[in-house]
Amino acid sequence: MATRNVLLKYLRVQIRGLPQSARPSPFALSPNVLLRGFSEEVKGCFLDKSEVTDRVISAVKNFQKVDPSKVNPNAHFQNDLGLDSLDAVEIVMALEEEFGFEIPDNEADKINSINLAVDFIASHPQAK
Amino acid sequence: MILSMHEFNARQIHKARLMMNIYSFGRNLVTASSPLPPVHLPAQKEAHVWYILPDEVKSTSLLNRYLEILSPCEKENIFRMSGEQLKKRALLARALVRTTLARYQMNRQIDPKSLKFWKNIHGKPEVDWQYADDWRMPPLHFNISHTSSLIACGVTVGSPIGIDVEEKQRRLKNDILAFARRYFSPHELEMLAHISDPEIRRREFIKLWTLKEAYVKALGKGFSASPFKTFTIRLRDHMEENIHLPLHMISEVPEIIVESCDDPKDLGGKWQFVLLELAGTHYVAICVEQGKINEGERSIPVNLTLRKTIPFVEDECISKGDAAVVIGGLTRLLG
Repeated sequence: MATRNVLLKYLRVQIRGLPQSARPSPFALSPNVLLRGFSEEVKGCFLDKSEVTDRVISAVKNFQKVDPSKVNPNAHFQNDLGLDSLDAVEIVMALEEEFGFEIPDNEADKINSINLAVDFIASHPQAK
Repeated sequence: MILSMHEFNARQIHKARLMMNIYSFGRNLVTASSPLPPVHLPAQKEAHVWYILPDEVKSTSLLNRYLEILSPCEKENIFRMSGEQLKKRALLARALVRTTLARYQMNRQIDPKSLKFWKNIHGKPEVDWQYADDWRMPPLHFNISHTSSLIACGVTVGSPIGIDVEEKQRRLKNDILAFARRYFSPHELEMLAHISDPEIRRREFIKLWTLKEAYVKALGKGFSASPFKTFTIRLRDHMEENIHLPLHMISEVPEIIVESCDDPKDLGGKWQFVLLELAGTHYVAICVEQGKINEGERSIPVNLTLRKTIPFVEDECISKGDAAVVIGGLTRLLG
């Protein structure tokens, strides 16, 4: 039952995470990670999504350039918050510090909205 | 008959003064489009940079005029953005690209609205000349960069181009060295770490950031394909005790080169850089392809034409002086 729930949680994350464009999902899970999902010991390692959302939102609001009233879970860094590429990298760096794990450069490129940041972090077992 | 740029400029500025008076009274008496004065294509080893200052564009009728030349898709993207400032910035960026490219006519007037764009596999926009009014155009490449206070568009023929603009006064939220440790190459970190004055270090960081961005944008493969950590941008022949020197320590204008971290000989002289200080407020970095040169051969300077514009209103050619200072890269500023 527990593993079924974990599996469903994965599926839910994947569906919400699919963007309009054709690029591959950042959460394409390797078989390894899926297998780990079945294991009892790993089941508790993923952070709760709403907690992640709160922490991500608070890290973004902390950014002086950002108008806090515009920061909601659907906010796009460029189109809603007016952030440029240097800001986006700074935010990724702030998220790495907040959640205690390194986000690889080829994944960082794709994190350009609050939702994508939350989904990525929530699906990463190393996030603290 | 195509007039020289100078004659056109003189006429345009006169017309511009007239039109600006009209716009400021809120009446749009100019219904027919004021043509964009045609310009000659950039030659090989030449780059044209057109830039606009959003704060100088206030007229609603002019903004509407710009909106008219956009595609339905572009308009939709703009409406989806939040806030007037963001919308205006996005609008000016698209209008700058379309009007700039439309100026390079060979035989007939190109309607900026007729231009179609496509994105390469990595998302870099290119012009689809097949659908333009004049499909015999040579391969014009362009790239755009914007800050809230300046939007720039670079154009070349036959070479990819990358351009990046940053405000000189920009502050980082993170510590500069922590940022450089995470994202820049070891040599670049070392260069920055050896600068003791924090303000000079901050400025050198911004210059380096714009150069790195311009390079990745010229490559056209996105941040993930060329992570910043995998290449070093530095000055050619300026080292002291194995440490690369920063720009501010060099009295003459040095050449800027890029090297792969894995194989320093790999990238060689294929890419060329220009770094400008514009209007005292912005750093502008440009990267163009130069073609392989042999070891020991001197690079040919990039000929750069810089123009400040308010499309349909005024174009101004900016030459060397207070408005534009070349601070890096072998460059000849024309005009």
